Amino acid sequence: MKKWWYLLAAFICWVVAGFSIFDFLPAQNSIAARPYQEISRIISTAPNITEILFAVGLEEKITGVTSDSTYPASAAEKQNIGNFWQPDIEAIIAAKPNLVVTLGFPLYPQQQNLADRLRRFGYNSLTVFNTEKVSDLFDAIEKIGIATQRQGQANALAADIKQKLDRIGFLVAEKEKVRVLYVVQRNPLRVAGRDTFINEMIELAGGENAIGATIQKYPPISSEQLIACNTDVIIEPTMGQENAELLEQSGLQYWSRFKNIPAVKNKRIYVVADDAISQLGPRLPEGVETITRCLKPELFENQQ
Amino acid sequence: MAQLLTKRKLFWQITLALVVLMVVVLCCSLIGTKQISLKSVFARAGQPNTINPDYEIFMHVRLPRIFLACIVGAALACSGVVFQAILRNPLADPYILGISSGAGLGTIIAVISGLSLPILGNSPIAIFAFIGAIGTIWLVWFIGRLAGKSNVTGLLLAGVVVNAFFSAIIMFLTSIAKSQQIYATIFWLMGNISEESIFVLWLAAGLTIAGIVALFYISPQLNALCFGADEARSMGIDTSRTQLIAFAVAALITSIAVCLSGLIGFVGLIVPHGVRLVFGPDHRRLLPLSAITGAIFLTAADTLARTIVAPAQLPVGVVTAIAGGPFFLFLLIRYTRKIGWLNK
Repeated sequence: MKKWWYLLAAFICWVVAGFSIFDFLPAQNSIAARPYQEISRIISTAPNITEILFAVGLEEKITGVTSDSTYPASAAEKQNIGNFWQPDIEAIIAAKPNLVVTLGFPLYPQQQNLADRLRRFGYNSLTVFNTEKVSDLFDAIEKIGIATQRQGQANALAADIKQKLDRIGFLVAEKEKVRVLYVVQRNPLRVAGRDTFINEMIELAGGENAIGATIQKYPPISSEQLIACNTDVIIEPTMGQENAELLEQSGLQYWSRFKNIPAVKNKRIYVVADDAISQLGPRLPEGVETITRCLKPELFENQQ
Repeated sequence: MAQLLTKRKLFWQITLALVVLMVVVLCCSLIGTKQISLKSVFARAGQPNTINPDYEIFMHVRLPRIFLACIVGAALACSGVVFQAILRNPLADPYILGISSGAGLGTIIAVISGLSLPILGNSPIAIFAFIGAIGTIWLVWFIGRLAGKSNVTGLLLAGVVVNAFFSAIIMFLTSIAKSQQIYATIFWLMGNISEESIFVLWLAAGLTIAGIVALFYISPQLNALCFGADEARSMGIDTSRTQLIAFAVAALITSIAVCLSGLIGFVGLIVPHGVRLVFGPDHRRLLPLSAITGAIFLTAADTLARTIVAPAQLPVGVVTAIAGGPFFLFLLIRYTRKIGWLNK
C-alpha cells in the first residue's frame, strides 16, 4: 500500500514543480514579439492573402508565400513556406517574420492551429477570412491595410473592386436571371450551395443558383435533384492542375445522360479554368465577369 | 526463455533503453526541413534582443513536438500491453474498447456546438475528446460489469458494440453537419502531433509516467491474469481489483494520448507485440520496455512524417503503419519459432 502513497506524493510534487517552474499560462514573452515596430517581413499562408498583399503594394515586404500562390507571377520568387493546406512552421520561423497572415476558423482548422501556435511563441499573426462571404474580402483588405499601415492603398483597392462589380451589376441589371448550377465535383455530384461566396458571385453575375437552400455548403446531390433543378447553365471549374479540355471531353459523355436538363439540351455547359472564381480575392470582379460571360454571352458580343 | 529476471538485470535493461531513447531524441531534434546544428542553436543564447530562428525552431517547435511524441508513444504502447493482458486477446489495442469513437464523438460535439474558446490555453476540442474518451470507457466498463464480473468476453463485446454505436452517431452527425465544421473534426481525428504548450506537456508527462509506474506495480498480477481469471484467483490474487486498476490507468493514459494528438493507430498494437516477441512476456519487463520502445518508435515515425515529404507533412499514423507493419512481420517470423505467444 505504501508504494501507492509514494507514487501519489511524487505526482503531486511533479505538478507543484510544474506550477512553480512554468507559469500557469503559457509564456508569451518570446524574443520574436516586438509589437509596434514597422511591418517589414510578412508571410502569407494562402494564395488569396498573397494577392491582397501584392495588390496593396507590399511586394517587397513579403518574405514567404505558400507554394500555391501562383498569382501574380512574381509571387513564385518568394520563399516557399509549404502549401496552404499544410504550412511548414519551421520554414515560417526561419524566415523571421514580423507578421503572419492566416485564414480563419472554422473553415481552415489547420490554419487556425498554425496561428495559435505562432501566437504562443510570440509571433505577430493576423487572421482574415473568417467566413466565406464577399463582404469578408473587404474585411480582409481592411484588416491587412490596418495591420501593415497601408490603409490608403487598402481603401483604394476596395473601392476599385466595388466599382468594377458595380459596372457588371449595371450591365446585368433589369435582365432576366439565369438559373445556373456550379458543379464542384461529378462523382459524387457536388454543387455550390446557397451559403457560399460562389452563390454571391452568381448573383452578382446576374444569375440565380438553381439549387435551393441546403444544410451543407457544398451539398452532394442525387441525379433526381439535379433534374429537378432544371438549370439553364452548368459551370464546372477546374481544380488545381486539372486540364480544362479533358474535363470538357469527359463532360460530354457524363452530361449526355441528362438530356432533358435545359443546360444539356442547349449545350450550355461551361468549363472554366480561372482561379479568380475558386479563390475569394482581389480578382473577384474578373471572376464575376467570367461567370457573366457564361450566363449572358450576348452582353459581350458587341464588345469584341 | 528460462532465464530468471533479476532486479539488477531489469535495471540495466531499462537504463540501456533510456539511453537509446535519449540518442534518438537528440538525433530527431536535429533533423527537419530547416537544417540546424546544436552549435547555431546556442550560439547567441543569453542575448535577449536578437532573433535566432534556429533557437526558436529547436526550443519551440522541435523539442515540444518530440516530447509529445514520446509521451503519446509510451502511453499507447503501455495501454496496449495492458489491454492485451486483461482481455487476453492478441488483437487488443488501446482503442479496442471504444476510446477512439468516444473521443471522436466528444470532438464532433465540441465542433458542432461551435465552442471555440480555449480552456487553459488548450482548444476545447481536446477537452471534449478527453471527456468523451473517459466517459465511453466508463460506460463500457459498466456494461461489461453487468454482463458478469471478470467476464472478459462481455467487456470486449460491450466495447465493440459501443464503438460501433458511437461510430454510427459520428457518421450521422457528420452527414447533417455543415461541411466546414467537419474539416475541423477530420483534421483532428487524423492524428496530428504538433507542439503543445510546455505546461500541458509537463502535466501530461507527469500523469503518463505515474500511470506507467502504477501499471508496473501491478505487473506481477498482470502476469498471473494472463493465465485466466480463475487461475489467477487460485494463486491468491484479487482479480477484480487488479483488473479495475489496470483498466482505469490504461484508459486514463490512452485518453491523455488521444486528447493530445488525436487517433494514432498501430503503436499500441505492434510495439507491445514486438517487445514481447523479443524480450518475452513477463510484464515486469514488458511494461517499461514497451513504454520506452513506444516513445522511440513514435518519435522516429513522427520525424519521418514531418520530413519525408517536406515542406508538407504526412499524418503520423501513415508512417507508423507503413514502417511498423513490415518490421513487425519480420519480428513475428524471426522470433515465434523461439517462443509462442504468451508462452502458450
